[in-house]
Amino acid sequence: MALKTLIIDASKCTGCRSCESYCALKHEDVCSPSKGRVHVIKWEQEGIYVPINCMRCEEPACEMACPKQATFRNFETGAMEVDATRCIGCYSCVFACPFGATFVDSQDGRVLKCDLCGGDPTCVKVCPTQAITCEEISHEAYMKLVQNAECIPQLVKQAVGGSEG
Amino acid sequence: MYGWAGKILKIDLTTGDITTEPTEAYADQYLGGRGLGVRLIYDNYKPGTDAFDPSNPLIFNTGPLSGTALPGSGRVDVTALSPMSNLRAKSNFGAYWGPELKFCGYDHLMITGKAEKPCYISIKNGRVEIRDAGNVWGQDTFTTQKLIQEELGDPETKVVCIGPAGEKLVRFACLLTETGDAAGRSGMGAVMGSKNLKAVAVRGNGVIQLAKPKEFLDLSIQINNEIRKHPTYEELSQWGVSRGVKMMYEMGFFPVGYFEDVCWDEIIEKYAAAEYVEKHQMKNVGCYCCPNRCMNFFNVPELGKGVTSCEPFSGFTGAVWNLDMDTFWEATLKVNKMGMDCTETSACIGLLMELHHDKLITANDTDGIAMERGSKEAILGIIDKIAAREGIGDLLADGPMKTAEKFGPEAVEKVDICKGLAPHAYEFRSFKGSGLMQAVGHRGDPLPLRGSLLEVDWHFANDWFQQVAKEQFGDEQAAIPTSYVGKARSAVLSEHMERVADNMGICKWLYGLFIYNDVNMACDIFNLATGKDWSIEEILKTSERVRNLERMFDVRQGLRRVDDSLPKKFFEQPLENGPYKGEVLDKEKFEKMKDEYYEIRGWNKNTGIPTKDKLVELGLDDVAQAIPDA
Repeated sequence: MALKTLIIDASKCTGCRSCESYCALKHEDVCSPSKGRVHVIKWEQEGIYVPINCMRCEEPACEMACPKQATFRNFETGAMEVDATRCIGCYSCVFACPFGATFVDSQDGRVLKCDLCGGDPTCVKVCPTQAITCEEISHEAYMKLVQNAECIPQLVKQAVGGSEG
Repeated sequence: MYGWAGKILKIDLTTGDITTEPTEAYADQYLGGRGLGVRLIYDNYKPGTDAFDPSNPLIFNTGPLSGTALPGSGRVDVTALSPMSNLRAKSNFGAYWGPELKFCGYDHLMITGKAEKPCYISIKNGRVEIRDAGNVWGQDTFTTQKLIQEELGDPETKVVCIGPAGEKLVRFACLLTETGDAAGRSGMGAVMGSKNLKAVAVRGNGVIQLAKPKEFLDLSIQINNEIRKHPTYEELSQWGVSRGVKMMYEMGFFPVGYFEDVCWDEIIEKYAAAEYVEKHQMKNVGCYCCPNRCMNFFNVPELGKGVTSCEPFSGFTGAVWNLDMDTFWEATLKVNKMGMDCTETSACIGLLMELHHDKLITANDTDGIAMERGSKEAILGIIDKIAAREGIGDLLADGPMKTAEKFGPEAVEKVDICKGLAPHAYEFRSFKGSGLMQAVGHRGDPLPLRGSLLEVDWHFANDWFQQVAKEQFGDEQAAIPTSYVGKARSAVLSEHMERVADNMGICKWLYGLFIYNDVNMACDIFNLATGKDWSIEEILKTSERVRNLERMFDVRQGLRRVDDSLPKKFFEQPLENGPYKGEVLDKEKFEKMKDEYYEIRGWNKNTGIPTKDKLVELGLDDVAQAIPDA
C-alpha cells in the first residue's frame, strides 16, 4: 500500500469539530472530542480555525525523543503510531512535537496519536469543506503541505492581532 | 445511561446551593431537551410569581443526542417564565455550548434565585463555581466571552452570556454565545439579568457513552454524506439564507414594514444580500458537528466581524424598509453585542415607523429621531436607546404595547402582537396554515413547522407538494397557501415532528425538514445512541405529551382559546398588491380551522383547554387534576 498523509488546509476549516468528534467515536467508542487525534484551535470571534494533526515528519521528533522506541512509523500506512505496550507515559513525544500534534487523554493519561485509521481516515469522510484530505505521498502532496503550513502563522497572526491582520 | 449524560444540575443563586438529580427518572416520559425541560418548569415554577421573581427557574436543556458525533447535535433549548408573554418561554440556541455542558456531565441546568451582586457560573467538568462578575458586568457579549475565557485561563471555555440589554432587564433581551448564536425569542436574557447572572461558562472533557457506537458511527457518517449531497445544502452552505430571503419577498411570504403590505417593488428589485455575501463573507459556519453551515460569517471593514443567519436578513431590511446592507450589518452586530432579540427589536422599529408614517407620532415623541421608513439613523438610534433603556428606549424595552399606550388608543390599535410577542414576520393573510400555526402554537411560531414550510415549497412544484401533503397530512390542500382545508391536521402533526428534534437535542431545521422530511432517521439514530427500542409512534406520542404539558402550563397562566389569535389587521385589511392581492383571513373560516385543531388535539373546543381524557391517555394524570373549570 502506498504511504499516505493527511493534508490540512486551515483556511478552509469552519471549526465544526466533526473531525475531533468522529475521530474519538471511531477510536474510543464514545463521544468526546477531547479524545480525538486531531484538534481544532478556534478563534471564533475572528472566524479563524486551525486543525492540528500529526504531520508524519520525515525525521519525527516524537520518534527520536522516545526512550523506549514506542513511537514508530507504520510502513503500511505512513502513520506514526505509539506501541502502548512499550510506552512508559513520559510524554517526551508530546513535548518534542513541534506542532503540538501528539495528544494526551486527559482522563487516563494515554498518548493519542493519529493512525490514519489504518489508511481510510474517518475525519476525511465527514469534513464538509475538504479542509482535511488524505493523499498518497508525492511531490505534489508535499508542496501542498508546505503551502498550507505557511498559511498557519499568517492565520494565527490575523486571529491574535484582530481583523486588520 | 447511554446518550444522556445522566444528571440535572441545579444551582440556587440566593443560597449558593448546588445539587444534582438523575435525568433517568424523567427520560421515558419526556425524553430530554425541550420535553424534559417542560416538565422541569411545570414542576418548579410557582404559579403566580413574576418572571423577574428570583424563584423563576431559568432552565437549559440538552437532549440525548446533543454533543454526539452527529450532524446538528449542537442545540440547546432554554425555558423560563417569559417576561414578554407571562407564559412558558421557549428559545433555542446552537453553536458549541450545549455539547460542552454534556461533556461536563449534565443534561440540564436549572438556575433559580438571585445573586446578591453580579456573578457568573463556571462549570468545569464536575466542578461548579459561582464567581464574581465585577469585571464583565456592563460589557458587551463579545467582550464578556473573551474576558471570561481569559479569567478562567482557557480559551476553549464556551460561554453563553447576556449583554447590557439583559442587565437592564430589556424584556426581549437574549442570550448569546460566540458572535451570533442566540436564544433570541421570549426574553431569556432579561430573566438571566434579573438573577444578577452575567454568564454561564462551561468546559468539559468527559464522555457521552453510546449503546451501539459502531453502528451509530456508520449511520452518522451516512447522514453527514447524505446532507452534503442535498440541493438545499448546496444553497445553504454557500449562501446561508441570503438568496432565500429574496425569494420569500417575491413569493409574498415575507411582509414589508410592520405587516403593512407585501411586494414593495423596490426590495424585489434591489435586495442585495447575495451581493453582500459575495463581497464580505469570509466563510459559512455552523454548529457543532454540522456540515450544513447555514450561518454567514461576515468581515466588513470598519463595521466588524461576526455571524448571522435567518432573522436579521429580513428583520433589518424589509421589516424596517431598509435596502442598505451596511445598515443591516451594523444593526445586526449591535443587537448581538448588546444582547437583544433581533425579531422583537426590528418589530419595535417597524411599529414606530408605521406610527410616524401615519402621523400618529413625530420626532418629538422619539427623542428627536425622525422615524422615517428605512432611515439609518432611526434604525441604529433606536437600538442604542433600547439597549441603554434611555428615553423612548426605556418604553420600548417594556414592549411595544407599553410604548403604544403612551401614544394613545389609535397607536394601541396598530400594535401587532401574538401571545405577548411580535408575530413571526410572515404574511398570514395569504398563508392560512402558517396563520393557524402562529395563532394556536406554543409561543406562536409557524416555522420551521413542516406544514408551514409546505405552503412555501408549494410554489416550486404545485402537484408534487400537494402529493406530499396528501401523504403526510391526509389532504392535498394542506399544501395550498390560500386554502383553509387540511391545515389543522398538518398543524398538529407538524408540531409533533418538530418536538422530536427538540426533545432529542438536535437541529430541527436539519431533521425532518430540509433533509429528511420525516422523523425516521432521528428515531433510528436515537435508538442506536440510547439503546432504547422506541418506535416512531412512541417518540411522536412523547411529542404529544410534551405539547399537552406545555399547553397546561400556559392554561395554568390563564391562556384560553381566545388568546389563540392573530392581530386584527390580518382579518380586516386585505393585501393591496403582490401575488396574493386581495387575500385576507376570513374570521369564520379561521375559527373553523381552530375548531378542527382542538378536535384533533382532544381539547375542549370552547376553552382551548386539554380534556381530562386526553391528559390521562398521555399519562399526565397529575396534570389532569389541575384542569380549571373554564
